[in-house]
Amino acid sequence: MKDKLSKEEVYHVANLARISLTDEEVKKYQIQLKQILDDVEKINNVKGYDDDILIACWEENTSLRKDEIGEMLNPKEVLENAPHHSGNYIAVPIVINGGEGA
Amino acid sequence: MKYLDKKIEEIHKLLKEKKIKPIDLVEEAFQNIENSDCNSYITLNKEEARNVAKELEKIEVEDNLLFGLPIAIKDNIVTKGLRTTCASHILDNFIPIYDATVIEKIKKNHMIIIGKTNMDEFAMGSSSRTSYFGAPTNPWNKEKISGGSSGGSASTISARDVLFALGSDTGGSIRQPASYTGIVGMKPTYGRISRYGLIAFASSLDQIGPMTKNVYENALLLNILVGKDEKDLTSVNREEEDFTRFIGKNIKGLKIGVPNYFMSDIVSKDIKNKVKEIIKVLEENGATVDFIDIKYLENAVTLYQIIAMGEASSNLARFDGIRYGHSIKDPKDIDDLYFRTRSEGFGEEVKRRIMVGSYLLSGENAKIYYNKALSIRDDMRKEFKNAFQKYDLLIGPTTTTTAYNLSDSMDDPLKSFLDDVLVNPVNMAGLPGLNLPIGFDKEHMPIGMQIIGNSFEEAKIYQLAAFLEKKLKLELDPNRGEKNV
Amino acid sequence: MSNYIPTIGVEVHLELKTKTKIFSNSMNGYGEMANSLTNVVDLGYPGTLPTLNEEVIKLGIKAATILNCNIRKVMHFDRKNYFYPDNPKNYQITQARTPIGYDGYVEITLENQEKKKIYIEEMHIEEDTCKSAHRGEKTLLDFNRAGVPLIEIVTKPCISSGEEVKLYLEKLRELLSFGDISDCKIEEGSMRADVNVSLRKKESDPLGTKVEIKNIGSISNAKLGVEKEIKRQTKIYDNKETIKPQTRRFDDKKNDTILMRVKETGNDYRYFPEPDIPFVVLTDEMIESCRKEIPMLPDERRQIYKEKGILEINVNKLVQNRSLSDYLNTLLEEKIDFKIASNLLLGDISAYLNKKEKTIQETTLTKKRFVELVHLLENNTLTSKNLKEMIEDILEKEDSIEKIMKEKNIENITDDTEIRKVIKTIISNNPESVEDYKNGHDRAIKYLMGQVMKETKGKVNPKMTMDILLEELK
Repeated sequence: MKDKLSKEEVYHVANLARISLTDEEVKKYQIQLKQILDDVEKINNVKGYDDDILIACWEENTSLRKDEIGEMLNPKEVLENAPHHSGNYIAVPIVINGGEGA
Repeated sequence: MKYLDKKIEEIHKLLKEKKIKPIDLVEEAFQNIENSDCNSYITLNKEEARNVAKELEKIEVEDNLLFGLPIAIKDNIVTKGLRTTCASHILDNFIPIYDATVIEKIKKNHMIIIGKTNMDEFAMGSSSRTSYFGAPTNPWNKEKISGGSSGGSASTISARDVLFALGSDTGGSIRQPASYTGIVGMKPTYGRISRYGLIAFASSLDQIGPMTKNVYENALLLNILVGKDEKDLTSVNREEEDFTRFIGKNIKGLKIGVPNYFMSDIVSKDIKNKVKEIIKVLEENGATVDFIDIKYLENAVTLYQIIAMGEASSNLARFDGIRYGHSIKDPKDIDDLYFRTRSEGFGEEVKRRIMVGSYLLSGENAKIYYNKALSIRDDMRKEFKNAFQKYDLLIGPTTTTTAYNLSDSMDDPLKSFLDDVLVNPVNMAGLPGLNLPIGFDKEHMPIGMQIIGNSFEEAKIYQLAAFLEKKLKLELDPNRGEKNV
Repeated sequence: MSNYIPTIGVEVHLELKTKTKIFSNSMNGYGEMANSLTNVVDLGYPGTLPTLNEEVIKLGIKAATILNCNIRKVMHFDRKNYFYPDNPKNYQITQARTPIGYDGYVEITLENQEKKKIYIEEMHIEEDTCKSAHRGEKTLLDFNRAGVPLIEIVTKPCISSGEEVKLYLEKLRELLSFGDISDCKIEEGSMRADVNVSLRKKESDPLGTKVEIKNIGSISNAKLGVEKEIKRQTKIYDNKETIKPQTRRFDDKKNDTILMRVKETGNDYRYFPEPDIPFVVLTDEMIESCRKEIPMLPDERRQIYKEKGILEINVNKLVQNRSLSDYLNTLLEEKIDFKIASNLLLGDISAYLNKKEKTIQETTLTKKRFVELVHLLENNTLTSKNLKEMIEDILEKEDSIEKIMKEKNIENITDDTEIRKVIKTIISNNPESVEDYKNGHDRAIKYLMGQVMKETKGKVNPKMTMDILLEELK
């Protein structure tokens, strides 16, 4: 078994997590991430469990909320902690490609 | 005159008879914090605490033992208008615009928030050394860690600064520091206390809990924290109960199990011997104690790593410099905003965990790791359930060693996980677990025992804990006890 | 140009008609001041948690029922993780593994009147993102839309032309707006369609490279976009070139699709079950009570209206006017002439409602008064001319129609012997016109009619009068 991740593997996960890394950090994480991932591999030694999953650690089901309007923030409060804003809007550097998701 | 050293009933009587005012307790608490100097706090709520104390003078003292008493809040629980940082640079300017549900309850009960306690950044760690604000120190020996992640709450209680603190426990973060600092810390059943306003680390494991110097006060605080919250779908509806109700009862006939794994070679001799002494005490007082096997216990850390890091990678995605928190100046483009904000904002441990978490959920990995971990967790929970068909409570050591040195290396990325091997299983199964101080090691550092109950049987845990507390009569005030400096 | 077989799949997002958002209790509204319909949950504030709107689940059950889907009784939500400024938590709560509905279909009628089933792979519930606007160097975010409930309906790749896409979207819009699931307004963004198009030579070939068309602003553009895309791909294949997986959008000005981005390696959304929302369990009682609440759907309405003798053109007009159709449905048990009733609704009443911007339910026209009105028209006590005079009073006052007639001094001659008497007099007084008529001059009959109207001050039913007049002229 190799003892560290490749640089590309480190960059891949850093990219998923939106974290930029210095060369130094990449070197460090090549080893550290590998150590953790090897440890996590122990899950493959676990035998004899069944396939049911439990989302939260208890047995009750979701209780539904009535469709009634509650208190809302005013635009000023929305902007209160936002580092960049313009008018009533929170602002970010221009994004042109349209949403990835919905 | 130190009022906060008195029994809670006495303090309450003094308040009621107007011999002292809440402001006296607040001032005393701030003085204590300054004197003990353990870096327990990230933010002190000086002005507002004094205002609240003054306001309380205007109202009648209620029949509520908690009235007017100062409380410390772990800094991952949001407090409206009071900075909440999660011990991270990314939130070091963050002023929440709402209160967590537990904070609403605390305010409703007229307790006074004294400050926000130090912790591991985003509760990731076991020594509070990943805090952006430097680690808190252990009042028993300032060279030592106070544990983590609720290290600041543990050290401020241990130092007797205040009577009450809130911590949070995802994989042992209340019980482990409680053990290292010689205090009582309870992680209640998952769902007992609303998580609304607790900044999420691992949603399916996180739980808020009380940290106090003794069992009775712990149960008192739990009384006001619990309850179904419509804002938290994972909170549970239970009939109201008084968690102090079994305190003072004897333990005759209690059936207690000790998982063999908890007494295996991973635990230091000092600690094992202490637990064995306790077992003797229990048997002498009419309880039965059996050593038992619980399947999957040894897998808890692996499950914890997968579930906690996976969920954390998603929970911490929202810190992007757009709506709140640290944000770089003049971003070139949106990616620059994301990447640099997060790289500057998060510390090393957090980055490491969210990168691993992202990997564990990436592509097919979610099936191989996360979903598999959820399945095994379910089976582990069933194993515990079976054990509780036979036993009232399970006990074992809380930690494998006592508190180690602040100067110990932080280079091993696995060390923080291994500190929590004995506390992780309780989170995996969603069970309540409490740390009770049971003695000291050769260096006079506290040793803790964990008492684990079946779901929603916190009251039974308190029964046993209070019984032992009374029997052992330990001197748990580091300011008074003989110290090994 | 060679021939290729197009394979098309459609994904439709619909905003649900609820008062509040899916995971928070802030208002679900459109067109309000920016960032005025939010709370800490919508903004993804640290520590906040989702709650689940009951109405969303109910509408989900109804939509699944309308689309002939199976309903999943035990479901959970999943997190779809991706960084984007319009995605407040940087994950979207959706249903990836346990969609509420699956294996359904919608039936469309092709131009040649053949029916075709468009198969629904699955429909799931999820939250909308916030709305972004671009100004200069900045993108501005409005969180009012963040957390608005959506259902996403995904077809199997079973559609084969732009026309079918159009028919499918029209059918979906009709069904789900009638079902009170969504407003289905494309122009307001409450209905959004993405279309996937690929070509292949033979049915037995594997599917070709998929191209996605987004941002389609209208149903006709969806059709046009697909047709243009088929042409574009055909040309590329004919030139022996390859197609890269890509996302295109429909550009209104160019009237064509243009490239948005070439898709790189598959997106890594890191789906996992949402730990903040435990399992949602639907009971049979809940499903049954939702089914009962579904209003009558258009096809059933059409069928009934036809059976009641309403003209085809009116049937369609009625089905397109939801509130009139609902009104008519309350009258189905009445013994009235539905042809007259439908003319009345779509004629003078509609004209009034359009002018006043009202719905019929907002007028004073009770069921009882409507029935009275139809009966008066049936037995010629009222003429269409009278109706025009009376319509405002009919729809604004609560008096009986007869009372309004009296007030307006409307009294019609319904007795045909009396009309015949008048006609006979007119005929004998106008021999030249009678002669002209018999010689085939159509104008003459109009003149005679006019004379009768003049004589009776318009108080006769024109059709009845004409019938008698023609009879007398024989």
